Amino acid sequence: MIGTFVRLKLRLIAGSLRGELIRQLGFGFSIFAAVICASLGFLLFSLARFGAADLAVQVGAVVFTGAVLSWMIVPLLAFGLDETLDPSRLALFPLTTRQLATGLFAASATGAWPIASLVALFGGVVGLSRGLGGVLIGLVAVPLVFALCLVASRLVTTALSGALRSRRGRDLLAVAVVFVVLLTQLPNLVLNRGLPGDGMGMFRAAADALRWTPPGLAAHAIADGGLIGVLDLLILAAVVLLLGWLWILALRAALVRPDASNQGGSVRRSRRTGLLPDSRLGAIIAKELKYARREPRGRVAWFSAAAIGGIMLFSLNGTQNAQDAVNAPGFGLAVGPALIAALMIGVQSANTFGIDGRSLWMNAVAFGSDRDVRTDFAGRQLANFLISGPLLAVISVIGAVLGGNLLWAVPATLLAWCMLGLAMGTGALMSVLSPYTYPERMNAFSGAAPGQGGQAFVAGFGALFGAGLLILPVLIPTVFFAPWVSVIGAVYGAAVAWGGRRIAAKIGFRRFPELLAAVSRPT
Amino acid sequence: MDEAVRTRGLVKRFGQQTAVAGVDLMVPKGSFAGLVGPNGAGKTTTLSMCTGLLRPDYGSIAIDGFDVWTDPLSVKSRIGVLPEGLRLFERLSGRELLLYNGQLRGIPRAQVQQRAEELLRVMDLVDAQDKLVVDYSTGMRKKIGLAAALLHNPEVLFLDEPFEGVDPVSANTLVEVLQRYTGSGSTVIFSSHVMDLVERLCDWVSVMSQGHIVAQGPVAEVRQGRTLNEAFLDLVGARGHGDGEGLSWLGSR
Repeated sequence: MIGTFVRLKLRLIAGSLRGELIRQLGFGFSIFAAVICASLGFLLFSLARFGAADLAVQVGAVVFTGAVLSWMIVPLLAFGLDETLDPSRLALFPLTTRQLATGLFAASATGAWPIASLVALFGGVVGLSRGLGGVLIGLVAVPLVFALCLVASRLVTTALSGALRSRRGRDLLAVAVVFVVLLTQLPNLVLNRGLPGDGMGMFRAAADALRWTPPGLAAHAIADGGLIGVLDLLILAAVVLLLGWLWILALRAALVRPDASNQGGSVRRSRRTGLLPDSRLGAIIAKELKYARREPRGRVAWFSAAAIGGIMLFSLNGTQNAQDAVNAPGFGLAVGPALIAALMIGVQSANTFGIDGRSLWMNAVAFGSDRDVRTDFAGRQLANFLISGPLLAVISVIGAVLGGNLLWAVPATLLAWCMLGLAMGTGALMSVLSPYTYPERMNAFSGAAPGQGGQAFVAGFGALFGAGLLILPVLIPTVFFAPWVSVIGAVYGAAVAWGGRRIAAKIGFRRFPELLAAVSRPT
Repeated sequence: MDEAVRTRGLVKRFGQQTAVAGVDLMVPKGSFAGLVGPNGAGKTTTLSMCTGLLRPDYGSIAIDGFDVWTDPLSVKSRIGVLPEGLRLFERLSGRELLLYNGQLRGIPRAQVQQRAEELLRVMDLVDAQDKLVVDYSTGMRKKIGLAAALLHNPEVLFLDEPFEGVDPVSANTLVEVLQRYTGSGSTVIFSSHVMDLVERLCDWVSVMSQGHIVAQGPVAEVRQGRTLNEAFLDLVGARGHGDGEGLSWLGSR
């Protein structure tokens, strides 16, 4: 049974690669990244060997716990890494829950990234063990930690799968994910609030607390290498079994729970429609504004951009206080958060048509020339700016006030708008060059259709890199000697957005059928 | 005879598989035409290529004499489409969807509003007009999809399986609207598995099998005295698998 599931997973991966070159390249890149992560992770973790024994254990506890936590959270945030089988697709097969559980467990251990994590975790055997006993225990402990990662990850996604299946639940969970991200930022914020400034002490305190968590026990077991280590392992194994059992329970419940009904309420008719021009452009702007509000992906994107801006403001401000505001980067505080937020918002436009997905045909049958596609881009960019323009201005003003000079808000806002324009311009290009499908249901399993993780990466990275590069000629003079350059910057940003959508519309109109196919893949 | 749709030598391959292998589809103007064929015959692929949603490997398609791939502007203003699968802009309400569609096609807002209201009334969607499309049932989706396809008063309407999964009441509404539409000289081409329906509604039928058109013409001509279902089964050569060899284990206790 395990073999069948592993073969199924491998066949799914292979099947998703058939045909298109760009996907194969993306997959190759993903493998390459996994190999790099595996070897770097292994090496760095091994280096713990050269530290003091107690420090090594602390590092081990933190790394192991970090691994388990990221396995729990990353599939929820889903950047196209995890393409594990959805249990509900297997519900009708005559499999016992145990077979299903072991099979899914094996399937989730199959793939480049799971193996990369396993290899990196094995670095702990080198880094932590202090004798033969340690090595032997490590050879058991690391697979146990890995199993813990998988089981915890599966438990979280399966337990939430019921919520993920109803429309409202999915919508809610999507937004809740943002708060998970915020939560992970909490320690960072606390650190930056300038507590006694003793980072090492904080680390040790945290590690000592983590020492008693199951992954911490694993680290201790390897370092101990004796009887106590074996005891640690027994506890760890018990925890894995317990979580596995809970997972089976959740799986059993998830498979028989009925699909939640979709009794949606009515929406209010917009009164603002009258304010928008009575034209194609106006219709597109109106639709985009509604989507920003109603589509969970849109809500998430906006919430997270605002949240990142807020976090940056808060933590940079903390850093500044800690440095007694003598050589404080006040101007940086005004510019930094707004710029990052602008980049975050702009990069969303790197897969403009992905949000429409399989509904994009409705535009396709109406667009008769590249002019129409250009109008579509323009409407989307304008709608985006109607929300992000004021948002970025607010972040800049707060940053400037915290930084100590309200006037800084002006260049900061202009720079942020410039960044936004650049990201929109490059994003428009990436949207037609490397389009991909968002999963139809915003689920916990993946961020792009199976096999399209590569395209997702290329699009996001391309837009990010392009905008990051293009901003330099404006950013450097503005920050270091001539704030007025930011005025040119705003015009420059608008020009790049304009040029980007012009070129993108030309390319996009010619390959609209292909574009349509790329954003309408089955997920 | 004026042709609403004319394809010549249409070919589409997906990897090794040839979905459409040289289709010469012809539909006269003003007809209510059915495109029938077994699963995998290439109906959806053909319709997608005719509407400009899928690029053919070879061949040409003309709608009212305009080439779909060299003159998209003329073609797209003349056609209405209801594709298979029926994904619409899910986060708009039914009413908003119609308004968006109309304005996207360059119709002034006031006129779109008026047309949308009439369509919503005819389609019996007035109560649901402010609900999000994502919460619509299959029948409601088909109706709002058809309304969106009709909004700009196209000359040729392409419908892929418009009656599949639709309850009899909604189906009846769809039929009435479509009959009225063809009655005024416009053309409907729809794909279907349901022979009885095609026989009842259509005056023209094209039969597809394995990527080819195997028969095409006025329904009476294609039937040749048989029921359309019998004619269809003969044409696609699909008789006799169900009671032949094999399956001896099925149902025996």
